[in-house]
Amino acid sequence: MRNPLADVPVPLLDDLIDDDYVRSLVVGVVGTLGTLGLLGLLFPDSVAGDLAGIVFSAGTAESTARLAAPIVLAGLGGIFAEKSGVINIGLEGLLIISAFASVYIASVIGIGNAVLGVPAIWIGFLAGIVASTLLAGVFAVVCIEFKADQIIAGLAVWLIALGLAPFMSTVFFGGVNTPNLGASVGWRYSATMVVIATAASWWTLNRTAFGKHLRASGENPKALDTVGVSVSRVRYAGVLLSGVLSGVGGSALALSIGQFVGSGETMVQGKGFIAIVAYLFGNYNPLGTLGAGVLFAGLDATQIRLQQLGYAVPDTLVQTIPYVVVIVVLALVGRTRIPAAAGDHYETEE
Amino acid sequence: MSRRDGGRLPTAARRVIEPFVDRSVAERILISVAAILLSIAVGFAIVLVSGRIAECSTAAWTMPVTGLGFCYDPFEVYAVLFNGALGYPLAIGEPGLFNPSWTPFNLSFGLTLSETTLLIFTGLSVAVAFRAGLFNIGTQGQLVVGALATALTVLALAPLLPPGPISGIALVVVGTLAGAVGGGLWGAIPGALKAYADANEVITTIMLNFVAANVAYVLVLEVFRAEGSSVVATRYVPEYAQFSPWLFPDSSDFALLALAVGVAFIGALYYLVEHTPFGYDLRTSGVQAAAAEYGGVNAKLTTVRAMTLSGALGGVGGAVWVLMSEGRWIESVPDLGFDGITVSILAGNNPLGVLPAAFLFGVLKGGALEIGFRTDVPTELVGVLRGLIILFVAMPEFFRMAGRYAGLGSSGPGGPETTADDSTGDDGSGGDGTTGDAGAATRGGEADA
Amino acid sequence: MNPAVHLDGITKRFPGVVANDDVDLAIERGSVHALLGENGAGKTTLMNVLYGLYRPTEGTVVVEGEPRSFASPRDAIDAGIGMIHQHFMLVDPMTVWENVVLGNEPRTWGGLRVDEKAAREAVIELSERYGFDVDPDARIEDVSVGVQQRVEILKALYRGAEVLIMDEPTAVLTPQEVEELYGVFEELTEQGKTIIFISHKLGEALSAADEITVLRDGVNVGTVASEDVTREDLAEMMVGREVLMEPATTPQEPGDRVLGVTDLRVEDDRGVEAVSGVSFELRAGEVLGIAGVDGNGQSQLVEAITGMREPESGSVEYLGEPMAGATRREHIDRGMAFIPEDRHEKGLVMSYDLVQNGILGSQHEPPFAAGGRIDWNASTDHAESVIEAYDVRPPNPDADAESFSGGNQQKFIVGREFERDPDLVVATHPTRGVDIGSTEFLHDRLLELRAEGKAILLVSSKLDEVQGLSDRLAVIHEGAFTGVVDPATVTEEEIGLLMAGETLDDESVSGAAIHDAVDDGLDGDGAGDGDGAGDGDGAGDGDADDESGPNREPAADGGVEA
Repeated sequence: MRNPLADVPVPLLDDLIDDDYVRSLVVGVVGTLGTLGLLGLLFPDSVAGDLAGIVFSAGTAESTARLAAPIVLAGLGGIFAEKSGVINIGLEGLLIISAFASVYIASVIGIGNAVLGVPAIWIGFLAGIVASTLLAGVFAVVCIEFKADQIIAGLAVWLIALGLAPFMSTVFFGGVNTPNLGASVGWRYSATMVVIATAASWWTLNRTAFGKHLRASGENPKALDTVGVSVSRVRYAGVLLSGVLSGVGGSALALSIGQFVGSGETMVQGKGFIAIVAYLFGNYNPLGTLGAGVLFAGLDATQIRLQQLGYAVPDTLVQTIPYVVVIVVLALVGRTRIPAAAGDHYETEE
Repeated sequence: MSRRDGGRLPTAARRVIEPFVDRSVAERILISVAAILLSIAVGFAIVLVSGRIAECSTAAWTMPVTGLGFCYDPFEVYAVLFNGALGYPLAIGEPGLFNPSWTPFNLSFGLTLSETTLLIFTGLSVAVAFRAGLFNIGTQGQLVVGALATALTVLALAPLLPPGPISGIALVVVGTLAGAVGGGLWGAIPGALKAYADANEVITTIMLNFVAANVAYVLVLEVFRAEGSSVVATRYVPEYAQFSPWLFPDSSDFALLALAVGVAFIGALYYLVEHTPFGYDLRTSGVQAAAAEYGGVNAKLTTVRAMTLSGALGGVGGAVWVLMSEGRWIESVPDLGFDGITVSILAGNNPLGVLPAAFLFGVLKGGALEIGFRTDVPTELVGVLRGLIILFVAMPEFFRMAGRYAGLGSSGPGGPETTADDSTGDDGSGGDGTTGDAGAATRGGEADA
Repeated sequence: MNPAVHLDGITKRFPGVVANDDVDLAIERGSVHALLGENGAGKTTLMNVLYGLYRPTEGTVVVEGEPRSFASPRDAIDAGIGMIHQHFMLVDPMTVWENVVLGNEPRTWGGLRVDEKAAREAVIELSERYGFDVDPDARIEDVSVGVQQRVEILKALYRGAEVLIMDEPTAVLTPQEVEELYGVFEELTEQGKTIIFISHKLGEALSAADEITVLRDGVNVGTVASEDVTREDLAEMMVGREVLMEPATTPQEPGDRVLGVTDLRVEDDRGVEAVSGVSFELRAGEVLGIAGVDGNGQSQLVEAITGMREPESGSVEYLGEPMAGATRREHIDRGMAFIPEDRHEKGLVMSYDLVQNGILGSQHEPPFAAGGRIDWNASTDHAESVIEAYDVRPPNPDADAESFSGGNQQKFIVGREFERDPDLVVATHPTRGVDIGSTEFLHDRLLELRAEGKAILLVSSKLDEVQGLSDRLAVIHEGAFTGVVDPATVTEEEIGLLMAGETLDDESVSGAAIHDAVDDGLDGDGAGDGDGAGDGDGAGDGDADDESGPNREPAADGGVEA
């Protein structure tokens, strides 16, 4: 099954992505948006016009940026972990814990106060990253030191965070939802962080020695070990990076609203799982992950705006689209090649 | 063969007892118990720490020696959790050890057993898939679909039959079957995708959970919603078409009959997995897919069958949830499927282990309600305990290390390496469904020189 | 002058096992040294000690006159020691240059970037200096095994290796690639490098090494100059007693046609054609040996015959019936026994006891399956009888398969498969990793089955094994038979040429045999069709085979007595 989109030459893109599949994904998304924009310009009064209006409106862009941040950032984190050979399906838990910790610390310090000249909200942001990294550290120890099954341990990370965040919220604030801080981190910051993190991840994975080690650790850890690079150190680094990046994502999610919502599936609502899908979709390429993440977030944002305009779209069904798309893609096209040694424990001889 | 005949137990009996004498099974049980104790200990610490941070007027507990006051009393939490889940058989703080007015047929114990019953089905669902080497995270979705199928089937058929106990039995049976079919079909999807399109079942089942929840919600919201209902729910099924709560109070949502059915399912599943050719195929696919194919097992078909069976069990769980607990399909489906993963892992994926594991989680759930009534500690604590138990059960190596450190002297199985060449496929972790089985196997084989 | 490497009294113990016992070994700079021994003799352990993967329990490693204590391979690398493992330590999806510099990447931009240009230049420079023909930008997964081996050597040289350890370097190479490797050895030693290679092949040690050290049961039996010894001397040193180089077969007339393979094409997991049009036939009471370097399509051919892999085209006919579309289970049920090459992956379920392993493949058949359940009594009896008949030790049917040694695992598999009373036995590397005593036993059993009139397809990379046991010997190269020869008259050199993909000009040896096989195949088909239309006798047992009619069977039976 040859993908025609893979043959479209795009100058800059070809250098950055040497992967037909991801390239066609990017080309496809850009193409669809372009067509929609054109239709909207030509027929401003049609549904296409409305849709184009929504898709290209500032409001949609804002909420897309807000919704995409946790997906893309956790997805980038997932790439680092999985490339190193540790499948981290606990990204959801990392997002939850950082979302709560960021709001909690910011409220403890108090909006308006500052520590060492750093405003409370940014201290909260850092606290979210720290919390997520700590939890990822626990996950790393359990998987690397104690050889736990990565999938089960990842589930545990999710479930622990799913219990712990509302528990702590109730302890501190008397309810699973925290009060609103009354301050938030603007969407431009989120967007900037997403772009920087994507670029930095791409560089790290493709241009640095660490990136090569990461890849070797996930593909053939023994090859790395026998040239004298510690596989567990590389894997620790990979998992901790997934904690850091997810932490940025979780903090950005909660602080963009200024509140942690802990009822049900919490405010993270499966974004950690969508993140996994985003990086699989992006075939472990940060740019592909960015594209997939923005696509999913954009779909959600568009749907919200459509509701507001009075189109009777059952929101729940629209939310289902990414999940169904993932299943279809996995079944038909998406033969993403997972790192050969992902999921396996590695033991140095003796 | 004469050498073994003396003093040999009848083989059938030996086969039943063997799992418990088997070193690895004994070790698993030990690890599960240790994991529970460790999570309780960590939970204790969490309660203490949060009790120090939380604000309250009077200290619920004062630490001896230090004199520090805490808002939560960790001893009380666990006392309420375990004692309360059983309806307070122990009279704590009163004269006498036992509460004289206690009967097993109380509300709290009923709630605990209700949870236990539901978790038996979801636990079995996850365990069956696990034994086939498939990680079914989708029991939740299969339960949602099965529950909806049950509710709609019973609601559709009820008007056609005269009200009464006979129709009731018929409706319960047909409704449960409908749940099994619904859940089974929903489970067959990721099974078929895995077998014929090589789509990783961990991801597809997670996705199908979201899809099931959303689609069922929209269906009920738009089509089957009960008139005048403030929540998104179907109509109630007739009273006579529900499991009736003999002995236990109505409000406990528990029926002994359903528990009995659950226990029967455990026995049946155990027999199926351990003592039938189909079970042999299933288990062999789970531990060593390449060997199963070599032994004539059709891998693709076994995958689809195992996932269908797993889904059907989840669907029966949904049926029981509707016909015993709720009396209707309602949008807030509890996390029974996810808890089933915990139950199965704790049970070592052995059907027989599902009973104690499900009971333990039933106690945790039932006890959580009591914690809410009797203490200031947030009931979400139980959610944390659940996660911790999974985490600890997932790391047997930790307990082995601890055991070795404590001088229990359990060296690794098999002793010295007796075989010269290593094999990659037998690391035994049930969950590594993510490695491309056939490909990896062949590669390993060819490299083996 | 100090030797390049001196292993001084090395002892290495594992729990319950002494892998190396006071081994003393000195290797001169600029020489090629072979470390010879059977599987499990402790060769690899010794080299892992030298490479810093294991720490010796006792003894010292002395490099260039300096005693060293290696905590990790990194230390060994720093001391100028490089190792090329038997399973290459390469990252498949990465390029040649990325693999060569892995772990020692030249960096620029203050460490933030791998200096790609410098790395590629270094790789090109090295490969030119030693006359390697390697494209630095090719991906490992796209290049041949021979090239991969050279990349491994480059890796070691890039790290400044003076001493190169190579573990079974020829195991995966064709004879021609082996010749090229010897050339590389020369190039390297001329430039002052020292080479130690591990081998269990006598001929290889004799032709490539200057000195040979033989290890047996972890003990250094002796170091000899290669020009001073004969094959027989070395064999005796390895085994500890005089060995019969060839098991004796008695001549026997083959019976009815059991297996007919016609123009079979099979793809491997990656979709690359691994078997390219193989045709042969196999008769009752006959052993057809298939020789070849590992990875030339043997695995796929055998899998296609035994129903584990769907062929792309061509046909397999078994007992007169076509097997197209038949499941693996149907193959088993029709009496095909299969000893797979990888017993840890396929032949045994490692976490099952022998009772459960004993019914693998028969789990749906009586007496093991009865009334929808498994009869554990019958299964236990079966396991016990196999254990007894095949001398599996310890004789405990309740012990898990993984607790047995490789030889005993193999004996159990062979026993289980033979006890099916099969018509066809497909045996791949039946004695791989098995000690000498068990090997002889298994060879005897195979010959007994032949005498009983079973058809046997024997795949092995051990030349003496296939040559000694087979009635006819087919040589496979890149998925096609390069010749079918008479193992009694063919020379090792001729087999070597065939394994390398050449054909023999000598019609008298090979030509007849090939034509024979093909003609029979066609005859069989033609006759089958004709019969089916003509007298309705059915292709099944109507094989009124022209030459090997029923009158031959008494002859076969006679063979048993003889």
